[in-house]
Amino acid sequence: MKLALRQFRRGLAAGDYRTLIAALVVTIAALTAVGLFAGRMAKLLNTEANNLLAADAVLTADHPIPAHFADAARAAGLVVAQTQAFPSMAAKGDAAVLASVKVIDGAYPLRGKLWLAGHAESAVGAPPAGSIWLDPRLANRLKLKVGDTLRLGNTRFNVAALIDREPDAALDFASLQPRLMMNAADLAQTGLVGFGSRIKYRLLVAGPPQAVAAWQQQARSTLARGERLEDVREARPEVKTALERAETFLRLVTLLAATLSGTAVLLAARRFAARRADAVALYVTLGATRAQIRGILLGELLLLFVFGALAGGALGWAAQEVLGWAVRDRLPAPLPAGSFWPWIAACGFGGVLLIGVAGPALLRLAATPPIRVLRRETTAPPRLWLTLALTGIATAALFVGVAGNAKLAAIVAAGIAGALLVAGLLGWVLLLLFGRFAKGFAARIAVRQLARRRWLAAAQLGALAVGLLGLWLLTVVERDLLSAWEKRVPVDAPNQFAINIQPDQAASLDKAFADAGFAPPALQPMIRGRWMAQNGKQVEPKRFEDDRAQRLAEREFNLSWGETLRADNRLDTGTPLDESKPGYSVEAGLAKTLGIKLGDTLTFDVAGTRVSAPVVNLRTVDWDSFRVNFFVVGTRSLFAELPASLITSFHLPAERRDVVARWSAQFPNVTFIDVGEVLGEVRRVLELASSALRLVFGFCLAAGLTVLLAALETTAPERRREAAVMRALGASRAQITKVQWIEGAAIGATAGLVAGVAASVSGWLLAREVLELTVPWNWQLPLMSLATGVLLAALITAWERRQLSRASALRLLRDPG
Amino acid sequence: MSIASPAPLSRSVLDCRSLGKRVAVADGPLDLLADISFSLPEGESLAIVGASGSGKSTLLALLAGLDLPSSGSVMLAGTDLASLDEDGRARLRGRLAGFVFQSFQLLPELTALENVMLPLELASRKGARDIAAGWLERVGLGKRLEHTPRTLSGGEQQRVALARAFCTGPRILFADEPTGSLDTHTGEKIADLLFELNRETGATLVLVTHDEALAARCSASLRIAAGRVVEQRGFAA
Repeated sequence: MKLALRQFRRGLAAGDYRTLIAALVVTIAALTAVGLFAGRMAKLLNTEANNLLAADAVLTADHPIPAHFADAARAAGLVVAQTQAFPSMAAKGDAAVLASVKVIDGAYPLRGKLWLAGHAESAVGAPPAGSIWLDPRLANRLKLKVGDTLRLGNTRFNVAALIDREPDAALDFASLQPRLMMNAADLAQTGLVGFGSRIKYRLLVAGPPQAVAAWQQQARSTLARGERLEDVREARPEVKTALERAETFLRLVTLLAATLSGTAVLLAARRFAARRADAVALYVTLGATRAQIRGILLGELLLLFVFGALAGGALGWAAQEVLGWAVRDRLPAPLPAGSFWPWIAACGFGGVLLIGVAGPALLRLAATPPIRVLRRETTAPPRLWLTLALTGIATAALFVGVAGNAKLAAIVAAGIAGALLVAGLLGWVLLLLFGRFAKGFAARIAVRQLARRRWLAAAQLGALAVGLLGLWLLTVVERDLLSAWEKRVPVDAPNQFAINIQPDQAASLDKAFADAGFAPPALQPMIRGRWMAQNGKQVEPKRFEDDRAQRLAEREFNLSWGETLRADNRLDTGTPLDESKPGYSVEAGLAKTLGIKLGDTLTFDVAGTRVSAPVVNLRTVDWDSFRVNFFVVGTRSLFAELPASLITSFHLPAERRDVVARWSAQFPNVTFIDVGEVLGEVRRVLELASSALRLVFGFCLAAGLTVLLAALETTAPERRREAAVMRALGASRAQITKVQWIEGAAIGATAGLVAGVAASVSGWLLAREVLELTVPWNWQLPLMSLATGVLLAALITAWERRQLSRASALRLLRDPG
Repeated sequence: MSIASPAPLSRSVLDCRSLGKRVAVADGPLDLLADISFSLPEGESLAIVGASGSGKSTLLALLAGLDLPSSGSVMLAGTDLASLDEDGRARLRGRLAGFVFQSFQLLPELTALENVMLPLELASRKGARDIAAGWLERVGLGKRLEHTPRTLSGGEQQRVALARAFCTGPRILFADEPTGSLDTHTGEKIADLLFELNRETGATLVLVTHDEALAARCSASLRIAAGRVVEQRGFAA
């Protein structure tokens, strides 16, 4: 170990180690930084999305929630609040309107903000006893203003304020009645709560994520009938999509960072092992046994690893702090603390890469014949299969761990494998072609040199191709995929839904919109229907084990008709709806939850009429488009004669919210639903994720490119030695430069082209299959990549040329490294 | 070839019998060395001379156990090298032999002192640092202990190599073209130092060279051509 320590200590100062250490440190740093930052961002995004729950976790029940749930939460250091929601008539004089009453306590809301009209600060806690807060629509219908009195059950209440925005309105999305909020202390005297009341009880919980998760786990195991844990992802598919996409993007960038810097480690480790061969032969000559040599080599590797892990971890931690600092102004809350896992995973990956590449080579070195001290060429080649197997395992483990999504891992891995394979094949074919047609001294020499050290050329080609693939995929992610997402949820995405519009109101609604300066709304038919049978067999909600499936099967479906597949829908399987053949198109996620398959016959009961037809296609819906979408759409003939209302969505700028009150008065039967909070949340997730991603992207690009260039430079000594031989034989500098240029250009162009095509294909596949985004095929990429490949090769060649012109041929012949 | 040993007769430290090295090439087997036998008494010096490619370095490698012969045997200090495995031969070298190479073979990242300490530490010798520093002082590099090979001239690097070769107190020293990479003047100084140290320590010297003048300083010599001994001097019949 003393010798290993000395070798390592001296190596730190010597050039040999520098590239390997730099590559290892950057690999661990990049993975730690990206993983840690992405993890913290994901936590923040989830916490942010929880604003829509007004808590971090919510337990809902159709009966008073047993005290042990709240007790357990408090015992775990969590804060709790309780709410109750039920429909009730609110009255003023003879006029009465059905309201959705929400009883809140002093702690509400635990997350997000409750805004009251005309108040500069958000409200915390309930209205004072004897007072209520009202939805302006309710006030409008009952012609109430602040200070007036309203009757609820047996009690009269003072209208203390109008509600502007409520964080967790999305949870009661299904109840379309306008909101009324009251203090929990007033509930008993209203006399509204009694046996058979339809009250939804909620326990709101918030606190440190780990404690919340533990409480959720404990609560889940003790849930009784009628009790369930709410999840914002389940409540709002738009938010679920946005969160998942943000996570996928962050994971993808982590993978690409690993690919880039991992390639550099592979190259540098190879060179390191080659250099060690000389030392090993000397050790054996001077009397070292194999065990001693193995000890020295493994000790050295271990020290290298420990140094890389510590320095990389520290650098990565610092880098992600800088990233966090750079986005601090755009964050709604401070970034939550990160965990050690990204660092451990990064060290694991770096360690296995190191052992995978350097390990077999170094262990093989222990068998280096001592005669190598007399004859250099007698080194045993490292076991390629072992290297491939070990690095393959490391990469696969990392990919599965980081990607958390088999498709994502598979596409990136297939991209890398494909790029390597095609680069190898293409390189081989090009070499053959060049060999046949190369004319002139430089070209012939270049081809001969490439052919002679085929493995080195293949390693360079492969590394450059994978490196460029990583760089280009990052670019595709940043430029094409992220933009596609941003375009998907524009700032002016619909934030209002209007439902229950009667067909004969369509014209006057158009006019009302036009009068207010809005484009006429796109109206779609909506039919309420209960799912009765699947393939003639009656649907029994209880047979579904999944809670969500049970609830979906129990409630009425919103159905629609129309044959055209909308822009935010994508056909997964089956054929488009065709008017001549009655059929249903079902959203793929719903079909999966409910076990509906293509070709199944579904029967719905619409106002007493049974409507049956086969499922002709399954489609994916972009829920985050915020446009009106339906789980089940049928052909026109199925529903055209049945009672339908119309539904639309539109964007209402914040300063024009007054028109809704006007329209509500003009069309009293129409319900306007504000999804501004949800849209705002999705936009926030998107903006946070994309600004984080752009920063991380820049970081990965800079780090990756630096180590890749350095690592490619480690393949130079062999070429330098050849150049020295040529120079010693009288070749002019111009001739040598030409040879190196042709060599570099051939490798750069091949790698660039292959990487560009692979990145373009993988990017397109990632968008389509993983992120569910539509991006145009990037045609320029292969050409740009080809040019970059040549440019990179030119940079390296220029660097080598400088080295070459500085040193004498004799020195280079003696010590090319 | 007859079995020969240099006069005067004394205890032999290196014995080889019918030594041969055969390798397979495209045209069939090729004899790099064939039928070489001699015996070298302790304290003597032997020069192996010959043109490039004659097989002298191959012979040195076989004598030092760096490679194994295809036929015949080598006895180093009474031990048959073929009876030992690679580790056994390494241990034997560590205990008995020192090496000097044409290309110095210093580890570039280690200092002069650390390079000299290397064989001492591999043999777990106590006081390695002091012994190594003493030897560097002896070869005239007492003020350059912390220099790395890159900052030393060729002659200085070979002095470090000499210190490394002698510091373990070897019974036999193998030198492969020790002056081959040096200019004439530096080469002569290194050769002087080599013979001087050899005399002081009483080690047996096996020297591969194509330099006749250097060979003439040895008590015995073998001339090799095409893998066979074509001339010998200083051996008792």
